[in-house]
Amino acid sequence: MPAEDRHVSAKASERLRRLLVVVPYLVQHPGTPVDEAARLFGLSDQDLIADLGLLFVSGLPPYGPGDLIDVDIQDGCVWISMADYFARPLRLNRSEALSLYVRGTALETVPGLAEAPALASALDKLAGGLGPETLGELPERVEAAGEGRAVEVLGELRRAATEHERVRIAYYAASGAETTEREIDPEEIFFAIGNWYVAAWDHRSEAERLFRADRIRSLAPTGVRFEPRGLEGAGRPLYSPGRDDVAVTLRLAPSARWVAEYYETTRELELDDGRLEVDLPAGRLEWVERLLLRLGTDAEVVTPEGLKDRVRSLADVTRKRYG
Amino acid sequence: MHPLERLVNLVALLLEAKTPLTFEQIREKLGEGYEHRDPSSAKRMFERDKDVLRDIGVPIEVVSTDAWDVELGYRIDKDRYYLPEIAFTPEEISALFVAARSGGDASAEDAVRKLLSGAEAGILAGLGGSGLGGDVEVNLSQAAEAVAGQRRVRFAYRTSKGESSERSVDAFGLAIRGGHWYLVGHDQDRGQIRSFRLSRIAGELVSTGEGSAPPEGFRAADHVQAGPWGPGEPQTRATVAFGPDVAWWAANGVAGAEVGTTRPDGWVEVRVPWQPGESLAGWVLSFGPDAEAIEPPELRAEVLARLEALGAS
Repeated sequence: MPAEDRHVSAKASERLRRLLVVVPYLVQHPGTPVDEAARLFGLSDQDLIADLGLLFVSGLPPYGPGDLIDVDIQDGCVWISMADYFARPLRLNRSEALSLYVRGTALETVPGLAEAPALASALDKLAGGLGPETLGELPERVEAAGEGRAVEVLGELRRAATEHERVRIAYYAASGAETTEREIDPEEIFFAIGNWYVAAWDHRSEAERLFRADRIRSLAPTGVRFEPRGLEGAGRPLYSPGRDDVAVTLRLAPSARWVAEYYETTRELELDDGRLEVDLPAGRLEWVERLLLRLGTDAEVVTPEGLKDRVRSLADVTRKRYG
Repeated sequence: MHPLERLVNLVALLLEAKTPLTFEQIREKLGEGYEHRDPSSAKRMFERDKDVLRDIGVPIEVVSTDAWDVELGYRIDKDRYYLPEIAFTPEEISALFVAARSGGDASAEDAVRKLLSGAEAGILAGLGGSGLGGDVEVNLSQAAEAVAGQRRVRFAYRTSKGESSERSVDAFGLAIRGGHWYLVGHDQDRGQIRSFRLSRIAGELVSTGEGSAPPEGFRAADHVQAGPWGPGEPQTRATVAFGPDVAWWAANGVAGAEVGTTRPDGWVEVRVPWQPGESLAGWVLSFGPDAEAIEPPELRAEVLARLEALGAS
């Protein structure tokens, strides 16, 4: 097959895959606005209209006017008829079903999630409806161990993001080990690697910032509406390098290796003595000092210069607490 | 004819056919679709289309159309094609959407989209398009597959201490803790149930055959330990005092923590689960001068010893 041909068929297969999902929805929801359907199915309006354009020259033999699928787009809304055989979607394949089920289970036990009961009943229905031929033994054998951090302000935050309301927060920044007050415009709340995050415009730094929701100590509505700036929310890297980042290089003994899994590293090197050398990008050094205080003799500082002394003086200050 | 149009027509034809159709019948009925090519290249084109359809999950079956197996017929089994009707409430659908979007793999989102057709219109107005979270664990679908099918799998595993070895494990279950997924199963070489953090599995999980069934009353979560950055779930308690700025956050982060008295200087005493022999000292030290170990004496002594090892005087 020529390369060009293969490209066409890969593209056609992707378009067919989504058509077989979008069309049943449109058949069952006559008059759905194009933009709403596009957003729901993660497409651009143009792509959806292009797909629908091909649909209405398709149908059943002998492909006379009465055999073709009828697609009607008026005032930005879609009606599809003559497509009863596409009125129900294709089954979930095994990998789709399994991944939805494990994601659902992961989220179910997240503290503070208003959807938890609905999620639990949805997963039950999913397991019952799809049955063991799709989900196998999985529903009985996947669970959450231990609870995550409770986020008391989660409900309020999500409401503010939905209603575009500016809020005032007291935030404990672990990077600087300090609590600060600021006003933020929360645009998106999302869950990643066991924590809730808020993508927001931060009026204190006049910049886009990512906040961990569990570090918000208190939240007060301001009554001020904001215009969303289209910030990049879920999907963005949780750590974004800054211009003033300091490269911290540490050598970790085996019992301190968890640091390389827990924090973002930019380089990892196995040393002959069994230790792991890592580079941690850090905008501020306060959290690194505290990390080193915790690791004690299990970590050795390579760079930056002076960090070792800062850790020693932090140890001094802490030592004073013990009389 | 556009390939997409041909594929849509093919699905419609096979879904609506009363009996299995031979390739010749398909070629004739589909008209333009395959006709302008010579028979052998038309057949190759049909074979490719069939593969495309199978790839996206369309269940095309091949059956004999006569008693001598001379002619093969093709059909789509409607029962295997159509999603069974599951009556989700609008709240359930939007909860599933939130879950799918929390993941980072597109197939969970594709799954919810297939479930949408039975949902009420307009309920998802508040949800966005295709934003994805950041925690893609590449092995998760393979591990879920192994658990769902009760398989034995082989993989390269690195322990938290950095030791690597090849493991052969009967997949019993999956558990999530602190945002990380673990495969729990019977380790063939060690003869014990062990848990394996997916992020420490290097490369693929290779299925090597059927696995054994988990023991009666098995719960994956029972076999997953807390990480070294948090305390476990023991019976006894230790008391740690925290500075006014961090006390709320420290207490909030530990399951079963009890917030005690606030001292006149604003410091708060928090009682956290602890058991003898387990070190809480690292966790206390991670708060720097904002935390002080109060009880038991051995915890206090360990914190002090570690501070002195760092050169504090």
